[in-house]
Amino acid sequence: MATSLEPIVVLSLIVGALAALVFAGVLAALIVFTIRFRDPRPGSVPQIHGHRGLEVAWTAAPLALLATIFALSLVTLGQIGQGATFGSLEPPVHVTVVGHQWWFEFRYPGGAVTANEAHIPAGVPIELDLGSADVIHDLWIPELGAKSDIVPGQRNVLRLFTARPGTFSGACAEFCGLEHAWMRVLIVAEPRADFERWLRSQAAPASGQAGRGLEVVRSAVCSSCHVVRGQLAGTSIGPDLTHVGSRATLAGGVLANTDEGMRAWIADPQRYKPGALMPRVPLSAADLDAVVAYLRSLR
Amino acid sequence: MSADAAVVPFARDRTLVGVALFIASESLFFIGVIAAYVVFREQGLATARAQLDVGRTALFSVLLFASSGTVGLAAARRSRAWLALTALLGAAFLAGQGLEYARLLGAGLRPGSELFGTTFFTLTGLHAIHVLVGLVLLGTLFVASSARPRRVGHAAWEGIAMYWHFVDAVWIVVFSVVYLGTVAG
Amino acid sequence: MTAAALVRRPGAFATAGVLRTVDHKDIGILYVLLGVAFLAIGGVEALLLRIQLASSGLRVLDPSTYDQLFTMHGITMIFLVAVPLLVGFANYVVPLQIGAPDVAFPRLNALSFWLTLFGGVLLYLSFVAGGAPDAGWFAYAPLTEPSHAVGSGMDWYVFGLAVSGAGTITGAINLAVTILLGRCPGMVMGRVPMFTWMVLITSFLILAAYPVLTSALVMLLVDRQLGGRFFDPAGGGNAVLWQHLFWSFGHPEVYIVVLPAFGMISEIVPVFSGKPLFGYRFVAGSGIAIGFLSFSVWAHHMFAVGLGDSENAFFSAASMLIAIPTGVKVFNWVATLWRGRIRLAMPMVFALGFIATFVIGGLTGVSLAVVPIDLYATDSYYVVGHLHYVLFGGTLMAVFAGLYYWFPKVTGRLLGHRLGLTHFWLTLAGLTLAFLPMHWLGLQGMPRRVWTYPPGLGWEWSNLVSTVGAFLIAAGAIVLALNVWRSVRGGEPAGDDPWDAYTLEWSTSSPPPAYNFESIPRVRGKRPLWDRAHPDRMDPE
Ligand code: HEA
Ligand code: HEA
Ligand code: HEC
Ligand code: CUA
Ligand SMILES: [Cu+2]
Repeated sequence: MATSLEPIVVLSLIVGALAALVFAGVLAALIVFTIRFRDPRPGSVPQIHGHRGLEVAWTAAPLALLATIFALSLVTLGQIGQGATFGSLEPPVHVTVVGHQWWFEFRYPGGAVTANEAHIPAGVPIELDLGSADVIHDLWIPELGAKSDIVPGQRNVLRLFTARPGTFSGACAEFCGLEHAWMRVLIVAEPRADFERWLRSQAAPASGQAGRGLEVVRSAVCSSCHVVRGQLAGTSIGPDLTHVGSRATLAGGVLANTDEGMRAWIADPQRYKPGALMPRVPLSAADLDAVVAYLRSLR
Repeated sequence: MSADAAVVPFARDRTLVGVALFIASESLFFIGVIAAYVVFREQGLATARAQLDVGRTALFSVLLFASSGTVGLAAARRSRAWLALTALLGAAFLAGQGLEYARLLGAGLRPGSELFGTTFFTLTGLHAIHVLVGLVLLGTLFVASSARPRRVGHAAWEGIAMYWHFVDAVWIVVFSVVYLGTVAG
Repeated sequence: MTAAALVRRPGAFATAGVLRTVDHKDIGILYVLLGVAFLAIGGVEALLLRIQLASSGLRVLDPSTYDQLFTMHGITMIFLVAVPLLVGFANYVVPLQIGAPDVAFPRLNALSFWLTLFGGVLLYLSFVAGGAPDAGWFAYAPLTEPSHAVGSGMDWYVFGLAVSGAGTITGAINLAVTILLGRCPGMVMGRVPMFTWMVLITSFLILAAYPVLTSALVMLLVDRQLGGRFFDPAGGGNAVLWQHLFWSFGHPEVYIVVLPAFGMISEIVPVFSGKPLFGYRFVAGSGIAIGFLSFSVWAHHMFAVGLGDSENAFFSAASMLIAIPTGVKVFNWVATLWRGRIRLAMPMVFALGFIATFVIGGLTGVSLAVVPIDLYATDSYYVVGHLHYVLFGGTLMAVFAGLYYWFPKVTGRLLGHRLGLTHFWLTLAGLTLAFLPMHWLGLQGMPRRVWTYPPGLGWEWSNLVSTVGAFLIAAGAIVLALNVWRSVRGGEPAGDDPWDAYTLEWSTSSPPPAYNFESIPRVRGKRPLWDRAHPDRMDPE
């Protein structure tokens, strides 16, 4: 199949059509009867109290309809649920997802760590192992179908699939506090070879241009929350910045990852993502430029 | 305007039906809390085994169970003597709970110290509060029935007795789940 | 102190009797006024949400304000609008329908009302006392644990809901006992008007559901005030336990706020069709079925939590089953129209509107009960669309129908028909524009509870339409307010029975005297007034 969304679409179309029929039926009866039997004059009509046969009929018919829908839903569940292969013979690729307020962390086997942007191979089932660092989040990439909550103290798995390469935008779907709205995510599906290349480069330590920018980042508080593997030892409270330059967006999608975007974010995160857990770190204009240049060079 | 007086057609025991519904609803409240205790039972079992004093609590529980009998007699005979004894037994039970709490708090167990503390104090505490309310009701009934016995209808006696039986019944469940639960696997 | 005074001297009603009154009719009116006041508040909150969402990237509200507003909007509309409005109608109408002079416990009745009001006040005090609750109306842990919710908002949530909940429980006890023991001679259960039937079932649902919420609230309070760990995974607790407890209350709650609405429709449709309710026994029976089923479906709010496929399948099947008894009701209403003599007075107009809009909401509900569809649509605007179709297109449309139906009984005056139609069409157009596009937004991928959204996803237009619709609804509400004001001061006198209705409330004066009836009535059928008017063609037994 094309994507893990496909089976859901098929089922939805069937259910939607049936629902539309039911609604059309009820509405038609409502309108026709109202027009046909409208009569403001006083006087009375035959008093009909009920009809057992009809009651049986309109209990049985919906039952049959719902039984069908339920059966179909089990089929679909089998196609997208645990262990689904989506018709692909490849073994699934595993990615660990950690939900944070308010950003997604992605960890790959082999050491690659990234934030808010994950690459996946097209044509291969992806198995996401979902965990949370704080509250309940939920990973949803609409174009890839089902979502799953990310519950602290519980390990959920979500299987997704796409046959065609492309960039799919998604978001955190479970309310998780102030910036739930800006907890967005990009999934980049690419041919296996490109994916492997990307994975290697992400696993490699940072090769950013050393110099002024690096000095500032080292001396400023950045390292108390960020890590740049190979160049900045720190604690990873915030996103791993080793290859931050290679991402399309910043801070869950609030800003494009351009020189301007990067400068804007570092200069005042609260202005673009009020409530985000990164403080405004006062830097001189010169230092700011250097830091931006350095971070952008982390490709 | 005394509206109650005007409500002609109601069966005389409507108060009792009301109390019954209230108790039914209360029991669902306890089912919620007990369910939570059971969910976390495993995590707390070790501490429960180590800390809880099953024997002595069983002793005090017997007093509470007995008070169900005495309140029954009190209601049946409109007897303030039996009423007083009921209250006495209830108070004794609470005292027992007090001792148990004191010992556990002394051993450093707190609602926040560990999961077992949270579930234990919440469940037993909520029951204790209900016993306390029951004692207040018994006391009020005692005073009212000595002040002007005629104005205290059988609904008051029966209703309060029903509530006391309920508080007792809840303890049977709580005692089994929390205390006997430590003995059984 | 009777309802009539409200019409003649509103001032007197406000000051004199109100604080002391225990008359079920006055209490009923107080409940409805409470509901309307909070409808205005919750509605204005909604309008603010809609303004903020009218387009992408707006900064009318900051995230923290937005979160407080959508949370309070949800809580207000469910606990302080839907429930009080329905309980209010039940308080006023039920004793009259069963030929009783008052409810079983008039003083308790007053207490219930004041508890509900006090609970609402507590909730709104939070705004001035360091921030309103901001974790959504179902307040998922651990976001509500002290580690994440530092303000006092969640504590106000606990106290507000616990207190108003206590009022709701005592109110339910009162209504249940009244219906069980207060019926006049001849009023066997098989003759009880359908509205009273649904109120009885609702009362039992309240008695079973609300205590579970209270227990969850107490545990949350222990976590917040005594350092407990029930719902905090970091402390060994379990965040999903809160969801189970909340929804085993929360789902019955949604039927609590719709069954009395079904009852109203089951009164109005027959009267304005000049026929008895089609399939009385089945309409009552299906209500009981819904009552029982509603306790076995709660986890359909948790399909994405990861309970496991078989658990999900079970709750999915149970949820779908509820469509069947609900359908039985819908079909019986439609069948009641068949070969009737239909008068399109305002109550009937709103009743027909209710059937159309509610069925839409019900069908989207069924689609959400289908696990794979829910895994896509859950926590998206599709759900927001569903819940407004059933709550506004359902509950509130029925409340409007009931208002136009019983207003003449309460005040002795009819509401204007022209303004009524304006109110109806504004409301219908408004709710369609406001809530239909939400389904589409959800399917396009818009999550719910977002204070803003990025440009470039093509969500602006649907959101703008939705905002416009919201203001149409508000305009309709203002027309209603105008209509009420007009008829209170000099509307057309109604007489005892302006509708040729069937049930006992229409046999006494409008407004009814204290204790309702000169002498306790005695009935021999489902439609006492019909029997009286047509001795030759009385209802068969
Ligand atoms: C008045 C309140 C009300 C009512 C009556 C309903 C009715 C139903 N609801 Fe709804 N629901 C809510 C209020 C209500 N709901 C709210 C507030 C939420 C959101 C909570 C939150 O997250 O904030 C919600 C959410 C909700 C969810 C969870 C969505 C999610 O968060 O992922 C689900 C899933 O199963 C659901 C299902 C249903 C079903 C199956 C019905 C059924 O009872 C509907 C039955 C009626 C019909 C089906 C129409 C008439 C029937 C016929 C014409 C017969 C023929 C029909 C068929 C054969 C299909 N509802
Ligand atoms: C009965 C229930 C009910 C009702 C009637 C409404 C009515 C409305 N709701 Fe509500 N809504 C909920 C129950 C309800 N809602 C619930 C349970 C939620 C979930 C909350 C959560 O996620 O936690 C929700 C969430 C919700 C959201 C999603 C927020 C989010 O997820 O980010 C939105 C967004 O547009 C919204 C909009 C509206 C609008 C525009 C109306 C309009 O119908 C309102 C129209 C305005 C009025 C009716 C007021 C009119 C009155 C005046 C203008 C004053 C005039 C004076 C008098 C009438 C006396 N609602
Ligand atoms: C107190 C902790 C903290 C400090 C100090 C901090 N950050 Fe951050 N940073 C974060 C958090 C948390 C995020 C994620 C914000 C979000 O998306 O909600 C973040 C995000 C970022 C991002 C965007 C990453 C991405 O992939 O979207 C960049 C770039 C960044 N920080 C750079 C810096 C720099 C440079 C400094 C020092 C001048 C710094 N941070 C100091 C916590 C911190
Ligand atoms: Cu994370 Cu919403
Ligand atoms: Cu539900």
